[in-house]
Amino acid sequence: MNDNIGVYVCECGPNIKDRIEIDKVIEEISSLENVKTAKKFSLLCSNDGKKFLAEEIKKEELTHLVVAACSPREHEQTFMNVCTEAGLNPYLFQLINIREQCAWMISDKDEATSKAIKYIRAGINRVALHKALEKKEIEINPDVLVIGGGISGLETSLSLAGKDRKVYLVEKAESLGGMARKLSQLLPQQGSGLSLIKEKITQAENNKNIKIFTSSEVNDARGFLGNFEVTVKLNGTDSEEREIRVGAIAVATGFGLFDPKKSTQYGYGEIDNVLTAMEFEEMMNFGKVRLKNGQPPKSVALIHCVGRKERGYCSKVCCLYSIRFARYLKDKLSDVSVTDFYIDLCLPDKADQEYFEEAKNKGIRFVRSDEEVKVKKSGDKIAVEYQIEGKQDHITTDMVVLAPAMIPSEGTSKLADMLNIPLDATGFFKEVHEILDPVSTPIEGVYAVGCALGPNNIPESIIQSQAAAGKIFSSLIPGKKIEPEVKVSEIREDFCTGCQTCLSVCFYGAISFDPFKGISIVNEAICRGCGSCVGICPSGAIRSKHFTYPQLYREVLEALR
Amino acid sequence: MKGKALSAKEGINKAIIDFLKKSLEKKCFDALLIPAKVPETESYAWLLLQDESLLELANPLPPVMTVQGGKALSTVTKHGEMHQSVAAVMRPCEVRAAVELFKLKQNNLENITLISIDCPGTMPLSDYTDNPEKMTKAFENAFDKWGEGDNLRPICQICHKFSLTSLFPPSPQESPSDQNEKDFSASDLHIGLLGGNKEKIFLMPCSTRGTELLEKLELPPQDSLEKWESKVKEIIDKKIKKRNTFNKEWLTKIGGNEKFIAVFDECINCHNCMRVCPICYCQQCYFDSPALNLPPEAYLQRAEKRGALRFPLDTLLFHLGRMSHMVLSCVSCGACEDACPMSIPVAQIFSVIGDQTQKDFNYVPGRNRGEPLPLQVFREDEFSEVEIPSEGEETSTGEAEKNV
Repeated sequence: MNDNIGVYVCECGPNIKDRIEIDKVIEEISSLENVKTAKKFSLLCSNDGKKFLAEEIKKEELTHLVVAACSPREHEQTFMNVCTEAGLNPYLFQLINIREQCAWMISDKDEATSKAIKYIRAGINRVALHKALEKKEIEINPDVLVIGGGISGLETSLSLAGKDRKVYLVEKAESLGGMARKLSQLLPQQGSGLSLIKEKITQAENNKNIKIFTSSEVNDARGFLGNFEVTVKLNGTDSEEREIRVGAIAVATGFGLFDPKKSTQYGYGEIDNVLTAMEFEEMMNFGKVRLKNGQPPKSVALIHCVGRKERGYCSKVCCLYSIRFARYLKDKLSDVSVTDFYIDLCLPDKADQEYFEEAKNKGIRFVRSDEEVKVKKSGDKIAVEYQIEGKQDHITTDMVVLAPAMIPSEGTSKLADMLNIPLDATGFFKEVHEILDPVSTPIEGVYAVGCALGPNNIPESIIQSQAAAGKIFSSLIPGKKIEPEVKVSEIREDFCTGCQTCLSVCFYGAISFDPFKGISIVNEAICRGCGSCVGICPSGAIRSKHFTYPQLYREVLEALR
Repeated sequence: MKGKALSAKEGINKAIIDFLKKSLEKKCFDALLIPAKVPETESYAWLLLQDESLLELANPLPPVMTVQGGKALSTVTKHGEMHQSVAAVMRPCEVRAAVELFKLKQNNLENITLISIDCPGTMPLSDYTDNPEKMTKAFENAFDKWGEGDNLRPICQICHKFSLTSLFPPSPQESPSDQNEKDFSASDLHIGLLGGNKEKIFLMPCSTRGTELLEKLELPPQDSLEKWESKVKEIIDKKIKKRNTFNKEWLTKIGGNEKFIAVFDECINCHNCMRVCPICYCQQCYFDSPALNLPPEAYLQRAEKRGALRFPLDTLLFHLGRMSHMVLSCVSCGACEDACPMSIPVAQIFSVIGDQTQKDFNYVPGRNRGEPLPLQVFREDEFSEVEIPSEGEETSTGEAEKNV
């Protein structure tokens, strides 16, 4: 075997030149078997340097290239591109990091020099065993999967769907609209939630680029930005499945509500006329607020922050809708007395303060209780016990409306597992950065919007949906090509025992089990070449294409010599 | 704990066979996987037995272990579920091997009822083939001595897992809520021999499957197991003591490079130990693969470097490689030692090392089906004592020093 290995040492300005005796390195390396030539250059990553390398590859008829310079994170790709341009397969190249690992680390010049020689020898030894690997290009899939058909999911879908881009909208319930559909009115007096959401639903249904799956759930998802394979379980059955391919996923699974039965002090489910906000909302939609006996209430207590202590966070929207309820009651029932029990008032937006002041002027009483109130039965009526500055007091009322905390929607953790995206301490999906990157997840191509991320009001949810759509627009440009990883894992069939240990460690879901052959299979389009499966396989049946045992053995042998 | 006591006036074997016969008759099982004497020879093999009349050949506790039961069961069920119900009657170490293979998906226990029996040990295979009659007799005596007999395999003499596997507490990494019966028993039914004075055997259900079996046979587990329990405990304590002394002795015998190399010096590289090991389940052993075949010049180079090169080559590498691959799951069944033509005490060495490494991971191989293999579990807090603390972490430095 006649290898022509070319070794090039970069001076990196003064960085390497001043701290390593490059001439000594060249001298030692030149005499090694299969090394055709060893040379130094002032700055290989410069245009002159790249030109020099390309010419050398051709002139010296190199079969392999070793560059001793900086970290692969900085210039591996640069030199691989040089190889490609010069007609050398870029995987027949090895970059040795003698800057960060030798020059910058070791003050003694002799020591740094001998370490650099060792590492370069290791690289030469390894590169001789490199195989030419072929890059593949696949066209990006511009389509998008949106999980959840509430206001966030609808907004995301409507923003994205177009001539070049299909949206698959998967909704668990029988119809679109989510929680917002149940709201009787929006703030301040922007018409009912129903009419706003109806408009969006109609738009989505009429958009031929949006494919809607109701009563359906995402069953499996694997892949990466530009190339996800998704299985959707259709029509609430286990048997009907549909495979779809998309380039990005937006999670818009919304929220659930804290069950007030879990805090016995509110008497919910035990005492008549103790309602949740959603039940009250239904009465408002119906246009009539009535007690169980059919009479209109003469007094109503609104209780904020139900479950806040248990959940550990403010749900952001309850103060305003409780004020909305109070104003509604005052406007509809002339002689009703309304008391709002809160612990802290949350009025973040510019119009909120005035909305609250107006409510006070309407004669609504706001009581700031030191701690959570207690609701008890008191004859035909209901007693609400509270405490102001240490003093116990109570009122009696006909009706109590509870504002329960928003909680992660059912199935959130299952979906997080499936998509490999994290949850935060509250159980909602976790954004990459709350302030700087609020709709991205750590998995490229997977975004989360609206109440899937935690309590959000409707304007925030819409902004986030549009933000995620923007992110997808700029990264999933139709026609763009992506290169799947070349250095993937491969499973040797005759060694694989089918113990499926590799399946449990594959972060990308790239391995599946073939029950007919009784062995594991790697999906090369999804594998990212991380090597976890190679390490865990008890039978040594998996190998990584660019990190084979002989390559590593030969490399380590020299590095430890 | 309660069980069902059955009379064994006509011998333990007969009592167990009668019980199995009854369960076949009552259609509790369609077949049995059970050791049996090979007609016209002195040897034993596994039978997948469907015809009740052949049960007279069966011997649930033969004097030798010719083929490890876990391996036999894996052969039968590796490629899928049994469509008929089968009871596998095995020694506790064989059941534990089956459980390890279950975790590695090398068998399918869907329609399998695992029945374990208190095991006094077995005779060394080579001693038995030399003189079957004498060794059979010696084996019968083992039922009186429970591990005290000199003729038993050394590995059996120090075995403290000869009875019900659930006697070992679940590992701390499992929360009690996970402990459903299916996951937390190795066998479905255990047959206790101890404390019965050879007049009684005790059936104890260890899973829903085991409970249903006794219900179907109208053998309600209502008898006291006190005698069995106290006897088992007594022998476990005795064996653990013996095992500890034994481990210490072995560590002085094999500790350090030179001694360790010397033990394996006699190896002829036949790989029998790997072939009979139930845990060595790889399709192709790396050490049998062409990866180890080098070009002639490579051998010459190595010979030049060392002065001489001995063949067979890489025998120590083979044993170390095999050990690092399987020792966490090693159930100390002794099959490897029985199979070694050079009488290298492989099982004893692997057992000593296994005890240490399994303890490090708080893992008892084959204790139950729900306990994950240590190498498949990542716990952030494990092995902190070998971590080198970074500068400035004073508290952890202190702890690390203490642990070292």
